[in-house]
Amino acid sequence: MTDEVFATVLDRVSRVPGVRGVLVVDAQAGVPVVAEVEDGVADSAVAALATALFRRAARAAEGSEFGHLDALQLEAEGGHVVVAGAGELLLVAVAAGDAQLGLLRLEVQRAVEDLW
Amino acid sequence: MKNDTVNRLAERLKEPVRAFVQDSRVRIALLVNEVGQVLAQHGFTGGYQVVDVAALAAAANASARALAGLTGAERWTHLHHAGKERHLFLAPFDTPAGELILVAIFDQDSSLGLVQHFFERLAREVAALPELQAPQPLTDAATFERELEAGLQDILYRAVASED
Repeated sequence: MTDEVFATVLDRVSRVPGVRGVLVVDAQAGVPVVAEVEDGVADSAVAALATALFRRAARAAEGSEFGHLDALQLEAEGGHVVVAGAGELLLVAVAAGDAQLGLLRLEVQRAVEDLW
Repeated sequence: MKNDTVNRLAERLKEPVRAFVQDSRVRIALLVNEVGQVLAQHGFTGGYQVVDVAALAAAANASARALAGLTGAERWTHLHHAGKERHLFLAPFDTPAGELILVAIFDQDSSLGLVQHFFERLAREVAALPELQAPQPLTDAATFERELEAGLQDILYRAVASED
């Protein structure tokens, strides 16, 4: 994986209106590999907690015989978190409540394809 | 640190350690001071195990601090050993009463990031405990070395005895 790929991924997703942070995370360790986040977004905490959530959801999906979990979206009062798996990596996007979610999900999906 | 102080502190540490274990999903957690006295623990099944790990953690902390000093790396923040199935996380943190060390063992239910995240909260909560607001008297170099060596010798003696 080259720095260029990471830069492209971060750039692609962070351009979506309303996105406050994008992180590529080591899916095993739950620590950021690269990140581009606004002030006020705690990148290490987001990486750790999003990884834990994704792993739990993946286990729940497998336990429910839904198969492999590709992505999950957390909706909260103040914003959204989208997490998508890319092998040993996870892509995490943090977005404001008024972000363009459809576009964000599309760009996350494309970015994940770049990461594979 | 005197025994009654340790006992009082151990009581106060129960809740922050319980919350750390629950949120970070570690299997084992141990809080020791820099001479290896056990202040809190979760998940150990044998008393000897706790004492062994505490003494080794204090020794590892002292070695890492010396190594960091020698190499100009300044203060070290944590040590992470990624085993095949289990991981070891060892990290020192400051309190007004002196340095404490957390030892945590976790598996695939947790992650390094999650442990680091909740370790920061644990360190903040513990450092704010009233029992740890005054420096404790026993951390002079001679006492440290004496207690650490006694602990390590005990471990080595038992290791040799178990091989016989």
